[in-house]
Amino acid sequence: MTLSDLIHYEPNARTLERWLKKVPYATYLGIKAEVHGNEILFILPADKKLIGNPTLPAIHGGVVGAFMEQAAAFHLIAKMDKPVLPKIINFSLDYLRPARLRDTYAECTLTRQGRFIANLSITAWQEKSDEPNAIARAHFLIPERDR
Amino acid sequence: MHTRSAAEKARIIDRLSHSVVHTHLQGICLESINGDELTMKLPYRKELVGNLETGATHGGALTVLLDHTLGTACICCDQIEAAITPTLDLRIDHLSVAPADKDIFAVARIYKVTRRILFAEGFAYCESRDRPIAKATGSWVLMPELRLSELLLSTEASVQQ
Repeated sequence: MTLSDLIHYEPNARTLERWLKKVPYATYLGIKAEVHGNEILFILPADKKLIGNPTLPAIHGGVVGAFMEQAAAFHLIAKMDKPVLPKIINFSLDYLRPARLRDTYAECTLTRQGRFIANLSITAWQEKSDEPNAIARAHFLIPERDR
Repeated sequence: MHTRSAAEKARIIDRLSHSVVHTHLQGICLESINGDELTMKLPYRKELVGNLETGATHGGALTVLLDHTLGTACICCDQIEAAITPTLDLRIDHLSVAPADKDIFAVARIYKVTRRILFAEGFAYCESRDRPIAKATGSWVLMPELRLSELLLSTEASVQQ
């Protein structure tokens, strides 16, 4: 089954795991997801292959951004009434503090979903959710449904 | 102000590339230096695919490539001593899908340097630089107190241990 098929299943921890397995890059980064009620928590487990700055050591900022973008895409799919695969339009990322070699978490808010465009904000943190490492905003294009 | 030759910049980038574990593992390497313009290459890799149905590289892998290329252009920018320059913010416009099986190139240029901030822009393309697949703009913080040479020395020391 392709990801386009799997996204029609109700989003829970098991289906999110199946979605993530269908994205080679998400698998490569090691992204995981947990569902807590209405909230989805995305996790990027610490891994030495993600290091960008070896002296701190810190996870590469681009990887933190990539993790947040993937989290936003799956958060959006999970919140759609009739899921389709969204396309990223643009991504705007503010770095607040370096991400140390620890597990990183991300949570998303679907700020607005129109017919064609969705706007999401994403927060990534490590130790405390109120001390984010990065915040981001993403726009996705929602392709016209053909089914 | 001092200017660095392309060879000098290539040396800085070469030493740096071995210490930045993640981008090194992805095979991101220097493609060319042309005046103040820097080009780096990300070889196509199946593990970076975002959409199995098309084979397109994940947008996030482009974020890594562009952050790295613009950031590297900051580090070896002529107007500063080689220093660590953490990313402050980065915006990426995704203009089209990265075609399957094609290497991706990222071009970066610094367009303004102040005492604390470097402003950089760039783009990514596959077959022709006239048809970019993504555009990036962002700012980097100049931290002269974090000397690049010390980072490289400490990395080399930890590699040797």
